[in-house]
Amino acid sequence: MTASDITCTLNGVPCSTRADARTLLSDWLRHERGLTGTHVGCEHGVCGACTVLVDGRAVRSCLMLAVQVDGSEVETVESLGTTDELGSLQEAFRDSHGLQCGFCTPGILMSLTAAEREGVSVADAAGEVLGGHVCRCTGYQNIRAAIEAHWGALSGGGNS
Amino acid sequence: MTTVNEMPDITDMAGMTMPARYVGRSIKRINDPQLLAGTGRFVDDLSLPGMVHATILRSGFAHGTITGFDASASGALLVLGPDEIAAATSPMPCVWLAPGQRITHTPVASRTVRYVGQPIGIVVGDSRAEAEDYAEQVDLDIDDLPSVTDSGEAIVAGAPVLYPDLGDNTIAVVHAGSEQADIDAAFSGAHRIVERRLRIQRIAPNPLETRGLIARWDAGDERLTVWMSTQTPHHCRDHLALCLGLRADQVRVVMNEIGGGFGAKEHLYPDEIMVCLAAMRLGRPVKWVEDRVEHLTATLHGRDAVHHARLALDADGRFLALHSEILGNLGAHPSNVGLGPFRVSAGMLPGPYRIPVVGATIRAVVTNTTPTGAYRGFGMQEAAWVRERMVEETARELGVDPVELRLANMLEPGDLPYLTPTFQNYDSGDYPEALRRVRTMVAARPSRGDDGPRVRRGVGFASQVEFTGLGPSKSQQIVGFALGGYESAMVRMDPDGTVTVSSGVTGMGQGIETGFAQLVADNLGISIEHVTVRLGDSERDPYSATGSIASRSMTVGGGAVVTASRRLRERILAVAAHQLEIAASDLVMLPDAVGGDRISVNGSPDVSITMAKVAESAWLNWDVPETEAIGLEERYTYNPEDISFSYATHAAEVSVDLDTGLVKVEAYWVAHDSGVMVNPMICDGQILGGIAQGVGIALHEEMRWGEGGQPLTTTYLDYVLPVAADLPNVVIEHMVTPSPFIPGGMKGLGEGGVIPTPAAIANAVANAVPEIAGDLLETPLAPSTLWHLMSAAGLHDD
Repeated sequence: MTASDITCTLNGVPCSTRADARTLLSDWLRHERGLTGTHVGCEHGVCGACTVLVDGRAVRSCLMLAVQVDGSEVETVESLGTTDELGSLQEAFRDSHGLQCGFCTPGILMSLTAAEREGVSVADAAGEVLGGHVCRCTGYQNIRAAIEAHWGALSGGGNS
Repeated sequence: MTTVNEMPDITDMAGMTMPARYVGRSIKRINDPQLLAGTGRFVDDLSLPGMVHATILRSGFAHGTITGFDASASGALLVLGPDEIAAATSPMPCVWLAPGQRITHTPVASRTVRYVGQPIGIVVGDSRAEAEDYAEQVDLDIDDLPSVTDSGEAIVAGAPVLYPDLGDNTIAVVHAGSEQADIDAAFSGAHRIVERRLRIQRIAPNPLETRGLIARWDAGDERLTVWMSTQTPHHCRDHLALCLGLRADQVRVVMNEIGGGFGAKEHLYPDEIMVCLAAMRLGRPVKWVEDRVEHLTATLHGRDAVHHARLALDADGRFLALHSEILGNLGAHPSNVGLGPFRVSAGMLPGPYRIPVVGATIRAVVTNTTPTGAYRGFGMQEAAWVRERMVEETARELGVDPVELRLANMLEPGDLPYLTPTFQNYDSGDYPEALRRVRTMVAARPSRGDDGPRVRRGVGFASQVEFTGLGPSKSQQIVGFALGGYESAMVRMDPDGTVTVSSGVTGMGQGIETGFAQLVADNLGISIEHVTVRLGDSERDPYSATGSIASRSMTVGGGAVVTASRRLRERILAVAAHQLEIAASDLVMLPDAVGGDRISVNGSPDVSITMAKVAESAWLNWDVPETEAIGLEERYTYNPEDISFSYATHAAEVSVDLDTGLVKVEAYWVAHDSGVMVNPMICDGQILGGIAQGVGIALHEEMRWGEGGQPLTTTYLDYVLPVAADLPNVVIEHMVTPSPFIPGGMKGLGEGGVIPTPAAIANAVANAVPEIAGDLLETPLAPSTLWHLMSAAGLHDD
């Protein structure tokens, strides 16, 4: 099996390792790096549960190979907060009941994190960005409420 | 968004009333932080030392005979084929048997394959990828046989027969409800009969986390431990022991977080038994996680029924009789619940209406498709589709307002309790009020923009009654559902005054952990911060035969928690009263999350004792009344008096593009009553999530098969799930009619959201485009389907 070196930054920490060339980024994060917050829902790029940030861009980690992040900065849901101290977007999801089983949630949080940094409007965050994810539990209404609450609380009245 | 009614104070068995600090309030969910931080413990997040990985070999043919299985060229750690698996296992029993059901067991593996996706063997490697490589090396020969996937085609003479010994594909014919003679008499005397053939498509449940498990066999003490994504750990434990020839006390099933269930994870599957068998053979932990393509063919589907329905009316538009001939598609074999969904459809056919005669004849057939079983709404969504489309069609024929027709025939509050002709004992509520409330909300809607003559708008209503809280064990015995209908709760206060509650129901994302914590905190009189909820371990938690299905966790499970907590409170008060030398009736609980919970003399808060002190002395067995039992632990098993019935009316406003056939749900209203709401935020969440799945049924989702019984919808590009743009923000009004018998007054609501949704949307489409109203007889109302209907109706002629 062909293996390659990977040197990257993973949630702000330098990381140097080897991975089989065929290992998916999602599997590498989960099973080699122990970052199991990234979930695999469909493994064909539709559901969005596995979304992580690579060099700031939201990507489906089930559609990338681990070796492709060599030289990149990778961020996963584990970078957003801890169980004891959630980030503000995570708190907004909790306050608005924007999750039920929580399986799709990490991917949605990562897409929204990228959108927030890019200055995406609240309408686009709740429309276009959320539209890239499948949630089977919530009916999306309370996710939209969480997005609206979080964007509303951003400094300067949001990025709209 | 929500009208939250004032919650009643809690009155305990001694008649003491205390304020509800938590029940009735939208407490934030206690287990959200780990889900949001990514530190949940879904089964694929777990790893054990020495663990290896499995992949399942599946049939690529819809029907055939395995003539060769040769794994000698495979470098796998272990390969088990159908013969070895069959020799090492006992067939899986059907749990719910219909009278005369001709197949009652399913082998774990067999040389006969009857659907694409049927598991036939297991391959184990050091990684999942290696296991899949080794699976490629297994030489498998299958002789193809003719197949049939449609239930109607399966009963035609000359159709391929799945079980030649049976002679045909019919597995059971069951009559339900009123006597046939009464049905015949009602229809022969009717002023008008409305008759339609209505169909509900095949649905794949699609929790976002697929099924999966890790099995570990400890050779030393001969015990099997299984971490599994399941709604029913005890039930899986029982069937694993049975099928693997183990004693129940040798098997432990543990579930932590699971990524949704929706009925798909309510029992044991043959591939899961194979994984356990592989772990026993290898002496190493084996993990298997279903992939999405597998899920779409290997996990039980829901629905797939055709109803030939007739509604009889008198000259005044009163419903006289409702009858349906149901043709149900069981798939390749009866699932654990077999005809169950079709039978529930028959039972719930009357809905909220006063119909003197109601009956159904169910014919259930096998086809070369994935077996069908439980999916949220379990027969009730099908019944609502049939009934509410029939009511709407009747109104159209009569030229009357469909809401008025409903109101004229609906059971009034004074009619309840009411035994339907299908033997459902409706408990309490005001069904017409729900409909009137929705009508008021609809009337107040803002006018939409004008999108020109080629986009039409319409509003449709649908009403329902939801069977929840399964159920008294005796009722389950009467219908042949071989699972006890009770639940138990264990509530223990430890020596430091903290409390642990455990139950056999499971948390699958619905938020039952938070609801139970609220019930315990209020009924004990302590702060919620001091409550821990433990669920999902067959060895640690009280036995639950039925588990978390059928909207029963909060009713039956919650009822047990309420009573156990109240009993423990009495015992705590008895110890405190002894130590403070005052009557227990003069004491009050003082919950305090920061300083610690206390018990004080009523009116004299300074005269108090800490909960921790009471708990410590109770466990020391010092300074306690001699009549008291040792420790502070109460276990209560609750077998409900009857089924609990929730109800709702939904309305949808849709736009229909005449040129594309695209339906958009623009607004949605609900009035819903599920008794006392422990956590209104969670109740809303359950309703909203159910509606989303109903929108999927109404507009998008369908499992389809093509040539040779090959499934056509095996990815999310072909099997279309609802996304955010499909769901408008829903307006929900709650009514609260407490259950007359469940301790705490709750009724179930896990499924109510999905039940009437497809009918409400179709009725709205019918209202928008009356030219095709009579043709809206099956879901999904996909753009291509509607486009063709509108074309045939001449709507594209200009």
